[in-house]
Amino acid sequence: MLAAKSLMVADAANKCAPGLPANFCHHHETTGCVAGNGLFCFGWAADNFDRYVGPFFRHFEIVAISVVAGFVIALALALYSHRHRALVPPLLGATGVLYTIPSVAFFFLLLPITGLGLWTAVIPLTAYTLQIIYRNALAGLSNVPADAKDAGRGMGMSERQLLRRVELPLATPEIVAGLRIAIVSTVAIATLAFLAGAGGLGDPLYAQPTFKTNIIMVGVLTIAMALILDLIVVLAQRFAMPWQRARSR
Amino acid sequence: MGHAEALSVAFQKATKVYPGADHPAVNELEVDVPAGEICVFVGPSGCGKTTAMRMVNRMVDITEGDILVGGTSVRERSPSDLRREIGYVIQQTGLFPHRTIAQNIATVPGLLGWDGDRVEARVRTLMQLISLDPDLADRYPAQLSGGQQQRVGVARALAADPGVMLMDEPFGAVDPINRERLQNEFLRLQAEVQKTILFVTHDIDEAIKMGDRVAILREGGILAQYATPAELLMAPADDFVEDFVGADRALKRLALLRVADIDLWKAPLAFVGQATAEVRAKLEGAEVPHALLVDSERRPLGWLSETDLQQELVPATPDISPEPVIDRDDVMRDALSDVLQHETMYAPVVDAEGRIAGVLSVEIISEFLGSKEALSEEHAAVERPTE
Amino acid sequence: MILLASIIDSFTGAFDFILHSRQAVGSGHADVPVGGIPFIWTFARTQLEVSAIALGGALAVGMPIGLILGHIGKGEYFAVGFGNAGRAVPEIAVVFLLAALIGIGLGNVALALGILGLPPILTNTFVAIRQVDPTAVQAAEGMGMRPWQVILRVELPLAAPTIMTGIRTAAINIFATATIASFVGLSTLGDLVTGTNVYGTDGVVAGAIVIAVLAGSIEAALAGVQRLVTPRGLKLQRAARSA
Repeated sequence: MLAAKSLMVADAANKCAPGLPANFCHHHETTGCVAGNGLFCFGWAADNFDRYVGPFFRHFEIVAISVVAGFVIALALALYSHRHRALVPPLLGATGVLYTIPSVAFFFLLLPITGLGLWTAVIPLTAYTLQIIYRNALAGLSNVPADAKDAGRGMGMSERQLLRRVELPLATPEIVAGLRIAIVSTVAIATLAFLAGAGGLGDPLYAQPTFKTNIIMVGVLTIAMALILDLIVVLAQRFAMPWQRARSR
Repeated sequence: MGHAEALSVAFQKATKVYPGADHPAVNELEVDVPAGEICVFVGPSGCGKTTAMRMVNRMVDITEGDILVGGTSVRERSPSDLRREIGYVIQQTGLFPHRTIAQNIATVPGLLGWDGDRVEARVRTLMQLISLDPDLADRYPAQLSGGQQQRVGVARALAADPGVMLMDEPFGAVDPINRERLQNEFLRLQAEVQKTILFVTHDIDEAIKMGDRVAILREGGILAQYATPAELLMAPADDFVEDFVGADRALKRLALLRVADIDLWKAPLAFVGQATAEVRAKLEGAEVPHALLVDSERRPLGWLSETDLQQELVPATPDISPEPVIDRDDVMRDALSDVLQHETMYAPVVDAEGRIAGVLSVEIISEFLGSKEALSEEHAAVERPTE
Repeated sequence: MILLASIIDSFTGAFDFILHSRQAVGSGHADVPVGGIPFIWTFARTQLEVSAIALGGALAVGMPIGLILGHIGKGEYFAVGFGNAGRAVPEIAVVFLLAALIGIGLGNVALALGILGLPPILTNTFVAIRQVDPTAVQAAEGMGMRPWQVILRVELPLAAPTIMTGIRTAAINIFATATIASFVGLSTLGDLVTGTNVYGTDGVVAGAIVIAVLAGSIEAALAGVQRLVTPRGLKLQRAARSA
């Protein structure tokens, strides 16, 4: 059996806390919070904040591309299969299967095709958002009350007008709910994008995976991004449709 | 088959005040329900009738006062134990969708620990009692019609042979035609099992039809009048009761009478394949100048028209439909309404098995209403149908 | 054309890795055989083991809480919020953090994974119980069932399908995250996938294929369980409603 790939090489000669890599304390303080690998070292965090900035924006880039692409594709699929119901089971099945493939596997399956880089990360992440958004969009469209559609047709709306003026507005809460879930999930999964060579907040995390302050920084920044984006979507929905109470999922 | 002893129910200044409410939902209710009788709680919405009923099995806790079942306070036992001895039927049935009909009915006996054979026998008996096809035992609620589901709900409540039954608008969710049928069937059932029943409804007509006694509640859970249906109609306690009972009090008295109470006319009966000459002979001088076609079980199939009688043998399909077919145990009010609705002169009356018992007509009804019996002030509470 | 050829080439190489043993790639390991099903199975087995333990733990904790809260109808804000929060947390950070806090090893990794699997189970159980037909529950209480009887005989069977959905989500999340447990010293399939130097591209892609296939199998198996667990009467009810 090959030796396990362990990163927990303790260097007894160093005053560094056990669990930190050998050269860690050479580059940073050797006393106090950092050396002792305390839970969160504010001083260090403040000093080294800029090392997270690049990855943060890269992370956002990955998430944005994936979610937008996923949203557009899923919505288009939902609108189309709403009219052609026979497509629904296979589409649900296909998006479901894609969702099942763990991200790590997905990245490395794409490796021979797209190599290391942005697209190897974006394609799987887009695929994940498909299942959530497609399912929610479909449910939203299906749950439009029949009498509303009846009234619309009775007033002489064409099918396209019906879609634009009746069905989509009424389906929006559910679609937006799906979008929010997709965003939050994607932000979390994108921490693995570094495995595909795409960067993101996973990079600094993986660089020092035993240093607690680092882990927490990455965690906090990820969650913060998720919350901020979620909040933006909620506010946008409320702004665009003030008569609807934003649904909390 | 023997039935467990029915228990009396007594509300003793029973009061329910919800926390934070200005006034009580049920206010010092005093109602004595003798064992074996049906007591109907009726009133406008917000009068606390359902709350009062639910205090008996402690689905709602009593704030003040007490309720005695069979002489014992309901507070004395744990709610779960108490409820296993009280049948409970709600409007939406609440059947367990994941269990078969037989399993649904067997729920309380199962909770009480009856052994398998006893439970099985009981389920079979009950299904027969409430006229459910025994084949349905292994079906699921979703496979039954609304009327059938209601019946299962009643059977389920009767399963452990409780001394008291609580029924909250049990026939409310059913269409009017089926509701009438279910009401009649239930009254026949009660004639046999004679349980003490607390029945809640918002429909005064149902209250008058079903109740041995009726308790009218006004908003705030206050008792307005507790009396037999006849007393309510003839001597309402105050303006509220009079209004609630309705301006057509006199007509409502028709609900106190059953079709079986009066003398029905007889129509000449014809059987399929019989020689029409015989039938025509019977028609001479008959009370009802039309021949009623019946099957071998004496169930009405329809009326024979002149054209039908011109053939040599009585045909299998009559020209005129037998509708409306009146149930013998139906109240006069409903029967009259059916007859008028179908715009017929005569309506065949059948018994519980659907066999012909006589013929009803508007003439008979108006004759009876004008007779001494109907005008009598001392008309007792409506007689229960006897099997 | 060349691209397609090289893609096919990679995948055939990967399948070969799965099926046959071969020499390791990197220097210093040339004498140790890698590849082949028994070899891959050791990694897969660790991953499945730790996932199973984590899922079991998440079930043992999440379901009772979800059941009780759902039955009494309190704590909606917590139960639903917990699920939402769970989605936002990056799994890899949790794994690393727990490793840094309490060390590595099967138990600790299982704990980290269990924490990740908890939100879907708890939230779905809660929501599922809340959505059970209230009249059936009311009738059950009115007939004299004690609270635990109501939960076990009425609410749980009727909530089972939705609860299973939560379990499926949790299982997939746990299994997926268990892949990267290799970063904290547990020998899971993540080893294969991140070990280009030792196993070569073939090994990496092979690892990815095995992960995907296993994940799909777990999902399919649980979907089958979900079908089994859905009471027949409930399926009939749904069919009747949509008719």
